[in-house]
Amino acid sequence: MRRSRAGFALAFLSPALILYGVFVLWPLVQSVQLSFYRWRGVSVRRKFVGFDNFREAFQDSIVGQSWLHAASLVFIAGAVTIALALLIAHLVEGKSRVADFARRVMLIPHVISLVAVGLIWSFLLNPTFGLVNATLKAVNLGGLVQPWLAKPVPAFLAVVAAFVWYAIGFFILLFTAGMRQIPEEVREASGLDGASGWRAFSSITWPLLWSVKRIAVTYVVIWILNLFSLVKLLTEGGPDRATELPLTYLYEQMMGNGKFGYASALAVVNIILAFAASGFVLWIFRRDPTSGRAK
Amino acid sequence: MKSFLTKSFLWVYILSILMPVGWVVMSSLKTGADIFGNPWAPSAVPQFKNYAEAWSEAQIGTYFWNSVLVSGVTLAVLLPISAMAAYVFAKVPFPGRRAVYAVVLGGMMFPNFLVIVPLFLLMRDLHMLDTLWGLIVVFVAFSLSFSIFVLTGFFESVPDELAEAGVLDGASEAGIFWRIMLPIVRPGLLVVGILNLIGLWNEYSLSLVLIQSPENRTLPIGLANLTMVQHYQSNWGALFAAVTMTMLPMVAVYLLFRRRLESAMLAGALKG
Repeated sequence: MRRSRAGFALAFLSPALILYGVFVLWPLVQSVQLSFYRWRGVSVRRKFVGFDNFREAFQDSIVGQSWLHAASLVFIAGAVTIALALLIAHLVEGKSRVADFARRVMLIPHVISLVAVGLIWSFLLNPTFGLVNATLKAVNLGGLVQPWLAKPVPAFLAVVAAFVWYAIGFFILLFTAGMRQIPEEVREASGLDGASGWRAFSSITWPLLWSVKRIAVTYVVIWILNLFSLVKLLTEGGPDRATELPLTYLYEQMMGNGKFGYASALAVVNIILAFAASGFVLWIFRRDPTSGRAK
Repeated sequence: MKSFLTKSFLWVYILSILMPVGWVVMSSLKTGADIFGNPWAPSAVPQFKNYAEAWSEAQIGTYFWNSVLVSGVTLAVLLPISAMAAYVFAKVPFPGRRAVYAVVLGGMMFPNFLVIVPLFLLMRDLHMLDTLWGLIVVFVAFSLSFSIFVLTGFFESVPDELAEAGVLDGASEAGIFWRIMLPIVRPGLLVVGILNLIGLWNEYSLSLVLIQSPENRTLPIGLANLTMVQHYQSNWGALFAAVTMTMLPMVAVYLLFRRRLESAMLAGALKG
């Protein structure tokens, strides 16, 4: 009986494990290996160059810029997304028709592809027929009208706006679920104490959302480090690399310049920095303030 | 007063979601001149020919059916093999099970795109580059971690007694899985199917690298290409129509299965 169970387990696992091993794990291992070679992918000759690719990456000013952009996006887009999502999650908790409607539509930007999101925002910001400039003119803010995607800072802000638009629904969902986990008695008790609105939020909801906040921050970091299609479609990393991100630059080095070894090294650096960033997030959130410290 | 503020704020939020989407749909029915003339107003006569042009001349029809084929076949392969693996991880103990499970879940941790260089070379060496079935194999492989993770949770919640009853009836292990277990976790299969469908339909970065011929393009890369080709930039109406045809199927799927999707996304986020 036992023997047959092991055989059964193996038989049932093998299709998944073989595909996973060949197409996911094996390339992952090779990524590390390739990063030590100089290779353009075509010839059989590939030259072992040790840490040269990594040295090149650290001297490449565009790599530095792309990481700076990713970090700024984490702080700016991340902060805006989480703050707005918390506020809206607080507001959709009520039982009204408009709250119900908001809950129904909030994930729409999340389920249409990031390609569509990038295109929609490039249309909205189009200098000749875009809705953004047309709206600014209509409300007498014509001074703000500009070719958004052609200037560095406005283009960066466009990426921030498109990301927030795409991501916020998921975070509202996350925070609403977190708020439901707060026991009814706690909320009722605070109501009896006369805590309402901002006070109820800051003294009860906010601290009790600790675990959800950690998940939210981790997700923001991971999503932004993974950002590729949105920026590729919206700005192509431009103008003048003002919105270049680690993955758009990696793609350019690989498919544009055929530098397979260098692109692999960028991928490895990317993995290490992503793990470091996630580790840092976990470290910041290492202590749950709701256990212990009374406030 | 407070509730008035709350409601107005929520309306602004709702409009910020629906207006850009609605504007794209409206523009997809406008003439080129009207798109440039007045961004706010619809054309006097809806231009359904934009859809016809996008579908046939701009090849969106080809891309659409490629996407249907790739997503459909991927799901048809993915669901059974991830259910089989998930069943073993949940119900059939064997030495090293926890370690193997951890390695499989590890796939959810890192961005797909980071293995793109060796994956491209591997597909080239296997002569699977620039083929739809090659793309399907890659999609199945990269969807396994998440699917197995969610389905394992579903199998764990099935009581052991059900399988034991099957053993008493003389059913084989495989028979118990196919005839007793799989029908019970149907809700799980549905959720995993829909979540993967949305992800597969929208997948861009892997397809961009692995597909090269125009006739093999899926919708996202076809659409992206359409915007970059100068030739079609003169036909904005068709481009708006193409965006609409790409996004509306997934909006429909979302509105139909909203509750199930939300709970599955939450389960993935809160436990993962």
